[in-house]
Amino acid sequence: MSSNEQIPVVEGLFAETAAGPRLLGSRCRSCNTPYFPRSPACHHPVCTRSEVDDTAFGPRGKLWSWAVQNYPPPPPARFDEPYVPYTVGVVDLEDGLRVVGRMSVDDAKSLRAGVEVELAIEPLCHDEQGREVMSWAFRPL
Amino acid sequence: MRDVAVLGVGLHPFGKFEDKSVTQLCREATEAALGDAGLAWTDVQAISAASSRFSGGKGWGLNGNDVVDDMGRTGIPVFNLSAGCAAGGNAFNIGWTLVASGLHDCVLVVGGEKMPKGFIQTSGVDEETDLEYLRQLCVGMPGPAFWAALCRRRMEDFGTTDEDLARIAVKAHQLSAHNPNARFRNEFTLEEVLASPMVSDPLHLYEICPVSDGAAAAVLCSAEMARKHTTKPVWVASSAVATAGFDDGCPNGLGTVVPPADRTLHSEASVAVSRALESAGVAPGELDLVELQDNTVFYELAFPEDWGLCQPGEAERLVEKGETLPTGRLPINPSGGFLSFGEATTAMGVFQVCELAWQLRGEAGARQVPGARLGLGQTLGLGGNGTAVVLKT
Ligand SMILES: [Zn+2]
Repeated sequence: MSSNEQIPVVEGLFAETAAGPRLLGSRCRSCNTPYFPRSPACHHPVCTRSEVDDTAFGPRGKLWSWAVQNYPPPPPARFDEPYVPYTVGVVDLEDGLRVVGRMSVDDAKSLRAGVEVELAIEPLCHDEQGREVMSWAFRPL
Repeated sequence: MRDVAVLGVGLHPFGKFEDKSVTQLCREATEAALGDAGLAWTDVQAISAASSRFSGGKGWGLNGNDVVDDMGRTGIPVFNLSAGCAAGGNAFNIGWTLVASGLHDCVLVVGGEKMPKGFIQTSGVDEETDLEYLRQLCVGMPGPAFWAALCRRRMEDFGTTDEDLARIAVKAHQLSAHNPNARFRNEFTLEEVLASPMVSDPLHLYEICPVSDGAAAAVLCSAEMARKHTTKPVWVASSAVATAGFDDGCPNGLGTVVPPADRTLHSEASVAVSRALESAGVAPGELDLVELQDNTVFYELAFPEDWGLCQPGEAERLVEKGETLPTGRLPINPSGGFLSFGEATTAMGVFQVCELAWQLRGEAGARQVPGARLGLGQTLGLGGNGTAVVLKT
């Protein structure tokens, strides 16, 4: 049933690079606006050129806020049974991106706004074949 | 632009109505509004309807056409407006425009909804190109967790306590006990609110609005027509619509840009409100009451500050001192609000107009704001839609 095999929850959103985990997005060549996930165009209202480059974001940022998901979320959210409440965070990356993600903490009571966090790739749940389904998360430093 | 009056309003009580269609709910609200206005269905020259996502509308959000089919086809123009939970406010804005422009003398604005069970789901699209879908799949952050994160940030910034939050739910039900149209009319103690299940820490069940079935309608008309039917019309001082700015930092989707430090979240709401106040020539302090979109108690603290109705960090103390009750200096949601009604998404902007009209006419009974002459209504919805309306006597 269980295996060490891992699959991403969605392809193309994050990667384990030589420098560590990164989120895969875009940055506008003209106005520098960051996007996650990747965006084919720049959406800044006063940006007249729309040329974006693939950009890897992370790993460091500050926690803006967080919440505990106390009840099992409706689809398409995924979780292992029996359900264990988890914490979600809103993180301001040094790259200028505000990103949502799971918080890798046992107890949300230890969190404070402004704490330094680091990007990680962690299991979200297991699929029918017992593989670990991976997503990005943030670990307080 | 011409002066526009709200000549009649009607509300179908909110609740769960297994044996009624959304069209039936809208019919009852429409008949009540027409009766209130002293007009017949055949006096209606156009309909501005909120498009329901969940029910009726021929599966295409054509709910205004359902109303015409049901009330009897007279060949009038029908406009169906989609704006998520702001659709009722959007429909009101278009209805007002149709009369103010001189195109029509009498327009029906209507919104109704039969909601599926559970908390409101955000996007209805199951594709990996949809950011809300990706957010739920990869992170699992439904609406209540989103609200909880906004609320937690306020607690960090201002030291808001669990009791401060619970007090707002207590106040809502203190008022809904006097509102026969509200779904949840039981009063709760602070302890009971805090003992209700934790949905998304820090928000308890009684601090979040559930979903309901309901409908609301308003008849708008020209000044000339209004004066034939009433000596005390309620006037539309202004109506405004906005969408969210690029960099307001509201954590929708997977990511956004870190906003400038002075940016308010939900700029669609604050911009719509400031546009409405400006075009009505009204200073925030002049408002006698506000009906705002309280999907959660958090908004009853944040919005008054965002809109300049009180100072940042002051809202908790206003609630504690009873200043947001009808008898206070900043009455908020005397109807009992979304917390007491539950959200019938597309009806809500029109629901607020009903309550404002009753308040301005002095017909709100035990929840009446004494001497109310100027009231603000506000909605916001999926996609970054915001609306605001100011009514006056
Ligand atoms: Zn750009």
